[in-house]
Amino acid sequence: MSPTIHVQQLSKTYKVPEREGGFSAAVRGFFKRKYKEVKAVQRVDFKIEQGEIVGFLGPNGAGKTTTLKMLSGLLHPSNGNASVLGFTPWELKPDYLRSMTLVMGQRNRLSWDIPAADSFLLHQAIYRIPDDEYKQTYKELDELLELEPLMKKPVRNLSLGERMKCEIAAGLLHRPKVLFLDEPTIGLDITGQARIREFLREYNKRTGATILLTSHYMADVTALCERIIIIHHGQLKYDGGISDLSKKIAPFKLIGVMLAESNSHDLSKYGELVQNEEDWEKQYIQVKAEDVTRVTSRLLADLPIHDITIADPPIEDVIEQAFNS
Amino acid sequence: MFLIFKRLWQVNWAEQWQYRANLLMYLLYWLVSPIIYLAVWTSIAGVKGEVNGFTANDFVTYYMVLLICDQITSNIIIHTFAYKIQDGSLSGELVKPIHPMLTNALVNNIAFKMLTIMGLIPIWIILFFLFKPDFSGVTLSGVLLSIPAMVLGFVIGYLLSAAITSLAFWTTRVYSIHEFYFAIILLFSGQFVPLPLMPKVIQDIAQFLPFQLFMYYPIQLILGRLSAEQIIQGYIMAGVWLVISILFFNWVWREGVKRFSAVGA
Repeated sequence: MSPTIHVQQLSKTYKVPEREGGFSAAVRGFFKRKYKEVKAVQRVDFKIEQGEIVGFLGPNGAGKTTTLKMLSGLLHPSNGNASVLGFTPWELKPDYLRSMTLVMGQRNRLSWDIPAADSFLLHQAIYRIPDDEYKQTYKELDELLELEPLMKKPVRNLSLGERMKCEIAAGLLHRPKVLFLDEPTIGLDITGQARIREFLREYNKRTGATILLTSHYMADVTALCERIIIIHHGQLKYDGGISDLSKKIAPFKLIGVMLAESNSHDLSKYGELVQNEEDWEKQYIQVKAEDVTRVTSRLLADLPIHDITIADPPIEDVIEQAFNS
Repeated sequence: MFLIFKRLWQVNWAEQWQYRANLLMYLLYWLVSPIIYLAVWTSIAGVKGEVNGFTANDFVTYYMVLLICDQITSNIIIHTFAYKIQDGSLSGELVKPIHPMLTNALVNNIAFKMLTIMGLIPIWIILFFLFKPDFSGVTLSGVLLSIPAMVLGFVIGYLLSAAITSLAFWTTRVYSIHEFYFAIILLFSGQFVPLPLMPKVIQDIAQFLPFQLFMYYPIQLILGRLSAEQIIQGYIMAGVWLVISILFFNWVWREGVKRFSAVGA
C-alpha cells in the first residue's frame, strides 16, 4: 500500500519585496522593485504511513508551517511533489478537503460573531455529516473537551483556551483521515493540554487517522509521537524515532538562579550562560543533565541564592544547538 | 447543497444582524450620491423645463427606480473579502470543501442586501411622497421582465467584482483598482447620468458593456420604455456577459489561488 503522506523534493521559495528605508529608495522601489528570495522549504522528502503520529519540529522560521500549508493545499510549492491519501493537496479537490483537517491558530474555522454551535451546524452541512454520526462525534468531543458550556456564547467572548478547544473540535467533526495540527495545544493550561493529547491519542487509536503535528511543547511530542521529523533552515535534518533523537541530542538542563543580592557574581564558571528574554530577574546557565545535582549544590553552597529553578531547555534551543552545524 | 446554503444563510443573517447599526450607516452613505444626482438633475431640468427631452419629473422617476435597482444589483464583496486574501485569514475557508467566494461570501452579500433593503423601504416611501415620481408607464409585465434582468445584473456584477477582488492575490493595492472599476460603473451604468443624456459615443459603447445591466436596463424595463427589440437585445447582452464573467472569474480565481501565500495564521 502506498504511504498516506508522500513528500518528494518539496520546495517553497518566497519572493519578498525588499527596499531600504528613506525617500529616494522608496521612489526607486516604485519603478523597479527588488525581490529577495527566501527559501522556506528546500527539497524535503518523507513518507508517513497510515495511523502514524509524527511530530514535526524545528525552530521558528524553519519551514514547518510552510510545509503544513503545502500539505493541506493552501500553498502551491515552487518545486517537488506531495501526495496525501492519493490526492495532490493544492488541487483543493473537495473529496480531499473532506478527508483531512488543518488546525492552525485560533481564528480559523469559527465565525467570530456567532455562537460556536451555529458554526458547528454549518460544518455539519459543509462536510455532509449525517445527523446520527454528527451527534455521536459531538458527544465524544464534548466528553473529552467539555464543550457544552462554550457552545452558546459568541466566539469572540471565549477565552483563548476555550476558543482553541472549539477550533479543534470544529476541525474534527467530519472525522478526518489525516490531521495537520499546527500548535494544537497553544494557549491551553496544563490540564487542557493533557486533555487534547489524550483525545488525539484516543482518536488515532479508534479511527486509525494519520497525524502530523507541530508543537512548542516537548511534552506534546513525547506524549504522542514515536517518530519525529526535524527541519531547520528549510531542510530535513532528522527523521526517526524519538528515543534515537534523545541519544543524539546531548541532554541539557537549564538552571535559573535569582540571587539575594545584586547580580554581580559571575556564573559562567558553573556552566554556559544563556539568555532568557522572558525572565530578566534570573540568570540562566545550561549544564549537562548528569551534572545538574553537582552544579546545583555548588551554587547553593557558594552563593546567596534567593530562588533556583531547574527545567528542560525550550525545544527550539535544543534543536538549534544540535543541528546548527 | 441546499442544506449548506440554508445553514450559511442562518449564520450570515445572524452575523449581519449583529452589525445592524453599521448597516444603517452604510445605507445612508450609499443613498447620498443617487439623491444628489436626483436633486441636481431635477433642479437643472426645472430651470430649463427639460434636458434633452428629460423633464424634472422624468429625473425623479428615473432615480427613484435606480435606488431599488442599484440596491438589488450591487455588491460589497471587495469590502468583505479582499482583506482575507491580504491578511491570510482566507486559509481557514480555503481548506473547506466549498468555494469561498461562490458560497459563503455570496450568501453574506445577499444577507447584507436583504437587511439594507429592509432599511431602504421606509426611506423610499418618504422620498416617494416628497418627490412624487410619475409611475404611469409601469406595468406588471415590465416589472416581471425586470426581475430576471436584475438577477442577471447582480450575478454578472458579483462575478466581475469577485474577479477584481481576487486581484488581491497579486497586489495589496486592490482597493484603488476597485475604485477605478467603480468609476467606470458610475459612467456606463446610467447612475451618474441617464444614458440617453451621454454623448453618442458613450451610449454606443455602453450598449456592449455589462454595466448598463446593473441600472439603466432594468430601470427602463420597469418604466416600460423599451421596445421589444431593445428588450431582446438587452437579454442577449446579459447572456453573453454572464458567460464572459463566469470564464473571467474562474480564470482569475484559479491563477490567484496559486499565488496565495497564506500569510499570518
